[in-house]
Amino acid sequence: MRQVWAVLRREYVERVKTKGFIFSTVAIPVLMLGFTGFTAFMAVRAGQSERQMALVDFTGRLGEEVAGRMDAAGYGVELVEPEVGLEELDRRVLEDEIDGYVVLDELTMREGAFAYRSKDSPSRVRRALLEGNVVEAVLEIRLSLTESAAGVRELLGGNRLSFERLGDEVSEAEEISGIATGFAGVVVLYMAMLLYGAFVLRSVLDEKRNRVVEVVISAVTPGRLMLGKILGVGSMGMTQLGIWAACAALIGLLGVPLLAANLPQADLTRIVDVLPGPGVLALFLVYFLLGFFLYASLFAAVGAMCGTEEEAGQAQFPLMMLLIIPFMLQMFSLEGDAFAWIDWAALFPFFSPILMFPRAVSGSVEWWMVALSLVLMVLAVGATAWVAGRIYRVGILMQGKRPTLRELVRWVREA
Amino acid sequence: MTEAAVRLSGVTKSFGDHTAVSGLDLEIPRATILGLLGPNGSGKTTTIRMMMAILLPDRGTVELLGGFPDFERRSRVGYLPEERGVYEKMKVLEQLVFLGEIRGMERSVVRVRAMEWLERLGLGEWAGKKVQTLSKGMQQKVQFIGTVLHNPDLLILDEPFSGLDPINQEVLESIVLEQRERGATILFSTHLMEQAERICERVCLISKSRKVLDGDLKEIKRRERSGVVAVEFEGDDAWLSRLGVAQVERVGDAHHLTLGPRIDGGGILAAAVAGGVGLRRFELLEPSLREIFVRHAGDPTEEPALRAAGGAR
Repeated sequence: MRQVWAVLRREYVERVKTKGFIFSTVAIPVLMLGFTGFTAFMAVRAGQSERQMALVDFTGRLGEEVAGRMDAAGYGVELVEPEVGLEELDRRVLEDEIDGYVVLDELTMREGAFAYRSKDSPSRVRRALLEGNVVEAVLEIRLSLTESAAGVRELLGGNRLSFERLGDEVSEAEEISGIATGFAGVVVLYMAMLLYGAFVLRSVLDEKRNRVVEVVISAVTPGRLMLGKILGVGSMGMTQLGIWAACAALIGLLGVPLLAANLPQADLTRIVDVLPGPGVLALFLVYFLLGFFLYASLFAAVGAMCGTEEEAGQAQFPLMMLLIIPFMLQMFSLEGDAFAWIDWAALFPFFSPILMFPRAVSGSVEWWMVALSLVLMVLAVGATAWVAGRIYRVGILMQGKRPTLRELVRWVREA
Repeated sequence: MTEAAVRLSGVTKSFGDHTAVSGLDLEIPRATILGLLGPNGSGKTTTIRMMMAILLPDRGTVELLGGFPDFERRSRVGYLPEERGVYEKMKVLEQLVFLGEIRGMERSVVRVRAMEWLERLGLGEWAGKKVQTLSKGMQQKVQFIGTVLHNPDLLILDEPFSGLDPINQEVLESIVLEQRERGATILFSTHLMEQAERICERVCLISKSRKVLDGDLKEIKRRERSGVVAVEFEGDDAWLSRLGVAQVERVGDAHHLTLGPRIDGGGILAAAVAGGVGLRRFELLEPSLREIFVRHAGDPTEEPALRAAGGAR
């Protein structure tokens, strides 16, 4: 244990001290900040664009007044005759022909209360705009009829807009959150397994090439050396991901409200909704760790069987394909339901991190499939470590040309 | 503990159709210094790598400190490979601490001891420098410290002196002797015969993957008479030409006479007395290791590496 710890610490300390590590650790949060700023900017612009909304008026006088005011504020509103019927308008909402619609009736005339029917809750901007314009319109009409001041005062009470959800889907924000988290997670998982796996390969190859391994192996068993190395690189990876996650959280929790406060018309509350919860983070961690162990031991085996960088570059190609294929599949599967079979491909342990994680987060697969993929991955990690450990044990002390596939099989059998 | 520190029996190792080591038997008693001698490519490094279980023999058995070279036994060995393997990006002291740590030493203990060694070998101020900033010779010294740091029972050193200047060679030699005093067994390979002659108690000569001879150095020398007599005298050297010796060679003031079938030492002495020359020195020369080697391994022209062995590698 002490030896594993010594190897782990050496690997960790030496890696964390490198310029490359420090640079990438700092550069990514800077990029995140830039990206968030850009997204916020785009969101602000998108928020100003017109959104289709309908208005149905049962009073016969209020509708025109409100529609006129909304138009003046830059929001196009379609005024619908009551004869069209609420059922028809509900249908339009559910089929995404319109975003939502406002119902004005005698209650609105009396108390200023009105209904807004839509699939998801109106943004603050829209809510404020609607409330203001409706009340103003009511005031306008009622004052023109010179009623008593007491009656008008009722209008100034709160709770005018009541939101009625249509359909039983998850809210748009939640859905976006699932997709965005899934996508971001896939990219991070893909990069992390590829990069940290390559670190393991480099580390093994360097040790083999300069023959330090012959000295180290006189005191440490190959299995412990490999374990210590993988844990060391893994700890480095966790450190880096941890720092990135902390920066992302800071940007999310401090930056976004700050931005929202400065840009009151912006529709920014959503970005906060999009941040992943602790459950999603835990799931990410599990897929990352299992995926990393799975690939790291294979990368270690590849490093052990090669003698030069060039050889290693070629030999790691099949491994990279194991990562690239699910990444491509995941991109395809965003296109639509034609790729439903990918749900099953996600059970293949080498594909699971990249394919199953986003599905688990967006809730598009059954929970037992997620659980099954985790069980399969644990089994695969064990089997891979066993095979890779045997190749590693023979390979690190082998000099000369790269082994053929047949020789590899013999190593695994005889080691 | 009477068993040998290292015992090889009938060890054979081939790479493809090239036989690197063939039927090697070797026993190294405890607390001795053994030199494994032979020209480049004679199988020294392969033999050593088999001792460390880096290579497994095709045939024969290797025993180290009383059994198969497993991890427990290997961790009691200090091994210096031929290739200078170091973590180039690590700092000198940290590298040594790591090497001690994987052999089960406490960090704090190994730190102090490593520092002492560095001071002793004149590397104290380099402790915090990266290994790659050191010269080759200094790296070699650091690596050497790594092999003795944990007070191993057995030191296996593959060409430990090559590439070092004479002063540092001497420092390392004195450390090797000191380790021997401590009770450690030392095996080192070299192609430098003169050096082996200086510090070895036992030698094992190998050539073309076969053992030529091995045993106690003094005994070998006694057994392997040189057949050369050195004489120094005053007066005319004409008597020499009448002796019938195989060869006469002038070395400084002395004449080296190689004995032949028609004359022995006694005959020369008698001739000198009869010739009335003033004899100042008459000595039956001990053969040098190189001569012994050549005598057993054949014509030196077939061993070009051996002839060049006086110089640095």
